[in-house]
Amino acid sequence: MSLLEVKEVTHSYGSSRSFWRSAKEEHVLSDVSLSIEQGSCMGLLGTSGAGKSTLGKVILGLEKPQKGKVIFQGQDLYTMDALTRKRIRRDLQVVFQDSYSSVNPRLTAEKIIGEPLENYEKLSPAEQKRTIADLLDMVGLDAEDMKKYPRQFSGGQLQRISIARAIALKPKMIVLDESVSSLDMVNQTNILNLLNELKSVYGLSYLFITHDIRAAYSISDSLTVMEKGKIIEVCNDKNEVFTSQHPTVKKLVASILPEHPRNRTISRGKSRA
Amino acid sequence: MEKQQNVLQVSGLNVAVKSQKGVLPLVQNLNLELKPGKILGLVGESGSGKTITCMSLLQLLNQKAMHIEGSIQLHGRELNGLKEKEMRCIRGKEIGFIMQNPMNAFTPVYTIGNQFVETIRIHTELTKKQAVDLAIASLEKMNLQNPAKIMKMYPFQLSGGMLQRVMIAISMCLRPAVVIADEPTTALDVATQLQVLKELDRLRTECGTSVLLISHDLGVISELADEVAVMQNGRIVEKADVYRLFDFPQHEYTKKLLQARPVLPVNEELSKLVI
Repeated sequence: MSLLEVKEVTHSYGSSRSFWRSAKEEHVLSDVSLSIEQGSCMGLLGTSGAGKSTLGKVILGLEKPQKGKVIFQGQDLYTMDALTRKRIRRDLQVVFQDSYSSVNPRLTAEKIIGEPLENYEKLSPAEQKRTIADLLDMVGLDAEDMKKYPRQFSGGQLQRISIARAIALKPKMIVLDESVSSLDMVNQTNILNLLNELKSVYGLSYLFITHDIRAAYSISDSLTVMEKGKIIEVCNDKNEVFTSQHPTVKKLVASILPEHPRNRTISRGKSRA
Repeated sequence: MEKQQNVLQVSGLNVAVKSQKGVLPLVQNLNLELKPGKILGLVGESGSGKTITCMSLLQLLNQKAMHIEGSIQLHGRELNGLKEKEMRCIRGKEIGFIMQNPMNAFTPVYTIGNQFVETIRIHTELTKKQAVDLAIASLEKMNLQNPAKIMKMYPFQLSGGMLQRVMIAISMCLRPAVVIADEPTTALDVATQLQVLKELDRLRTECGTSVLLISHDLGVISELADEVAVMQNGRIVEKADVYRLFDFPQHEYTKKLLQARPVLPVNEELSKLVI
């Protein structure tokens, strides 16, 4: 059985009907199905407006889809009772793109990471402090950073704190919605390495939402490409994406930036020398 | 004679911020030269002083809080210390600026057309009608469909990629000698990113503009730049031709940056095809 299964999910926004106009349905997601196995990472690719983030929200249980089911660990996310929901919440975590707006600016790093622990773990203050110090150490930060406020961290450091918060309860799955897109290359590689490491240590599963094939390729086992609310390509082996025949996927692959100037695509006299 | 050839010559630039704790240096002893029609890439991680450098080239920093020393010469004319009024004639006309976040670069309360025509008319003697025509023509060149309609739209009605292209159109329509592009594609998705880079390249071949391309993404740099300067902690640690830099990096930090590139099999296959 898969860890997570999304079955024929259809969703749309702004279908407000009024006296003057009939409901205009524009599907953000139409008939999307996918499944993620325990311990694997699926990369979800697509240009902006393809519905990637909406799918992420649907999977997290934040946006009730109009049709379809989301089944996590054998339970339907949207029909379960409150108690099951609370139990399942700890196994399903998220890291968003904008780290500054996903933390409370008035809390210290200790409080930010401690929040899920307080809700679920009931540790003694000393134990909790030790756990937080361990978590900080795991994401490559200092235990002394505990006392700092979000504004005292750089974007990359704060993203690490968001990751520490997400892994605090040792979840089964993390949804990473453009989590590394705003970071510079060195930070990006560091965080991707960290995520890979955590994956092998805890057997975590990821849904890695991004528009950047380069980042998705370096962390994912399988790749799924979306366009206009539909899944247009599923590559169970991530290397299949380069041989895909679908025009949109081809275009995405063609716009990968070169890693060396000799491979540049914008043709000029000097290039390809 | 050598110096005459450079469009923009920056030598010994020092920028420091005055704070309560004393003077904190942000950029130290920076030397740059932009040759006509060439693209100079400036790379470095966040906080290394890339943006401060281009803000100081345009004299956009707060003079009271910042200390700017050194010489910034545009066609041999000293920019550092120019009066605000004179500087205004240079910004937009002789040095174009493409900002990182297109959403914040426009005023949300005026239409695109209004802001476009304002820029043109401040720097030229064109009538309003001529300015509108020029604006529409330059939007058209940027591959934007239905430019007349875009002129009547407000910034929030356009997508990030479209706005970024509008901004490039505005900064290029007066044929500036230099364009400073500060992370022009960071906010865009990959397909739009390549399109914007292509526009930048086309404009520099057509108009002979020099571009200072700032980015942390080595992919962008290897796609477009002729020369690369690597910045770390406010200093330029290495400066070389783009091919030399990628093949024979000298400085430790450059090597670290190059190692941080994600490796894709497609790039290797491509390089086999090319060679």
